Amino acid sequence: MNLTKILKDMMIIAWIKSYPDFRRNPLMLLLIAMIGAIPLFFMLLFSGGGMLIHGLIGAMISSVAFIGVMAGIQDISWDRYVKIREMIVAMPVHPASYALGIALAPLLLSIPSMIFFGALLASWGVLTLSTTVWMAIALIVAWAAMSAIGFMISTYLLKTSMMVLNNLSNLLGIGLIFIPPVYYPETMLGSLSWISALIPTSNVAGLIRAYMGLLPLSAETILTRWLILIVTTVLFVVLTSVKAKWRET
Amino acid sequence: MITLGEAVKSFELVKVYHSKEKVEALKGVNISVDKGELFTLLGPNGAGKTTFLRIISTQLMPSGGDAEVLGHSVLKEPEEVRKHITVVPQDVATYNNFTPWEYGYYFARLRGMSVSEAKQASEKALKAVDLWELKNRMCQTLSGGERRRAIIASALSSNADVLMLDEPTSGLDAVARRGVWSTLRDMVEEGKTILLTTHMMEEAEMVSDRLAIINKGDVIATGRLDEIKALIQEKYRVVVEGKFERLSDYGEVAKLGDRNIVYVKTQDEALELLKNTLKMNVRAEASPVTLEDVFVKLVGGINNHEPH
Repeated sequence: MNLTKILKDMMIIAWIKSYPDFRRNPLMLLLIAMIGAIPLFFMLLFSGGGMLIHGLIGAMISSVAFIGVMAGIQDISWDRYVKIREMIVAMPVHPASYALGIALAPLLLSIPSMIFFGALLASWGVLTLSTTVWMAIALIVAWAAMSAIGFMISTYLLKTSMMVLNNLSNLLGIGLIFIPPVYYPETMLGSLSWISALIPTSNVAGLIRAYMGLLPLSAETILTRWLILIVTTVLFVVLTSVKAKWRET
Repeated sequence: MITLGEAVKSFELVKVYHSKEKVEALKGVNISVDKGELFTLLGPNGAGKTTFLRIISTQLMPSGGDAEVLGHSVLKEPEEVRKHITVVPQDVATYNNFTPWEYGYYFARLRGMSVSEAKQASEKALKAVDLWELKNRMCQTLSGGERRRAIIASALSSNADVLMLDEPTSGLDAVARRGVWSTLRDMVEEGKTILLTTHMMEEAEMVSDRLAIINKGDVIATGRLDEIKALIQEKYRVVVEGKFERLSDYGEVAKLGDRNIVYVKTQDEALELLKNTLKMNVRAEASPVTLEDVFVKLVGGINNHEPH
């Protein structure tokens, strides 16, 4: 199967998974933005806006990460209920097209909220062309990492009920986005700030803050953190690939 | 009957599931489906029908044996097999935000069709299943039968040579079921090969060119409807309502509460029983045996009791 067909099928699957919601369930877009924006309200209320710039970075990450981790659950739902996966397995479609398409759909759905939060950040005057590019790359890797975590859950807990999986992915979303230093700078953790490098969401938040000049990180530290981010993402992808079966045995 | 060669052929297909206990879902199944025919796999729940279909459609690996679709091995050439088949799984729910048109269109696109080809294929498929008028309605607003036809349309739009449908009319009312049957027969007229599973005798009887009866992982009969019916000696059934002595003198008796079905070999035997029931003022009705009678007898389900 050639690469063009794999990429084309990926885009069709992503479109199938996102277009109906774009068109017929626009409230979902608002919900995605709201999930990211709720902490901003409290930050504005309690910090008087001083922390808002950190919060906006968190909201950008939340937009891609919270629904990224849901990708695996979407896969299970497609598998068990609408059985589209079952139908696609029996088609001339590469498994990579399916997995990437399923993961890409939430990213498409999060574009409006990212544009919204990005515009707010730009109005703050912290976005240059170079920081925008680095931020976009970091957000894509965050999406990849969180989607890989989502797929890992659905792959290893294949027989678990949808309710449990849904709760688990929501808990993971909250645990990986709202607790670590995503909405707030990792310097607030003091001697424990190193933890943020281990969690993909807070690692990305730290990198974006460093590119914006909001967090003093040396070039070596930035490089190390990129390496950690890529290694953790690859690790989740490998763990999923080892267990996942396109054709059941 | 002239055949165009084999579309599907299985060779000693075995599937063993190892969950809490070892379950032999298929025990060396050999089935051959000719090109251009509608072949039905008929069996009770848990007989192995879905397992067979999932192996043939390259969704599931067998534990032993092999199968071919249009000459391509499902074990060695799954990608080739997938180019020629399309599948409608069992108990499939629709994607509620989708319209029937989108079902047809996107599935056609995934098969490599261009935008214009996919549009044409979707239109043709929706017209075939009589959903063209409802093409832009969201599936969540359609009836159960319309939703099922939308999914079948997605399979038809693929323009695949071999359609594999796992209990496609399960849960549909009689009218919707007939609509699906009509569509399937039209597809066969167009030269498609259809492999269908069902546990509904009426469906198997109405739509099949040939069928196989499968039970507990074994194929116990294969052939045309008349060939299957010829497998048992009894040719007529007499349903006797109410009490009537010594029914087993006439033939094998299946007791259904206050009714009995008596299976007899000849028309004369059926008439003799009818005459005697009439004398005793007991209501009775005779007819040729149905596929259900044959099926129940072959899978060993007829109870042979004299009414008390």
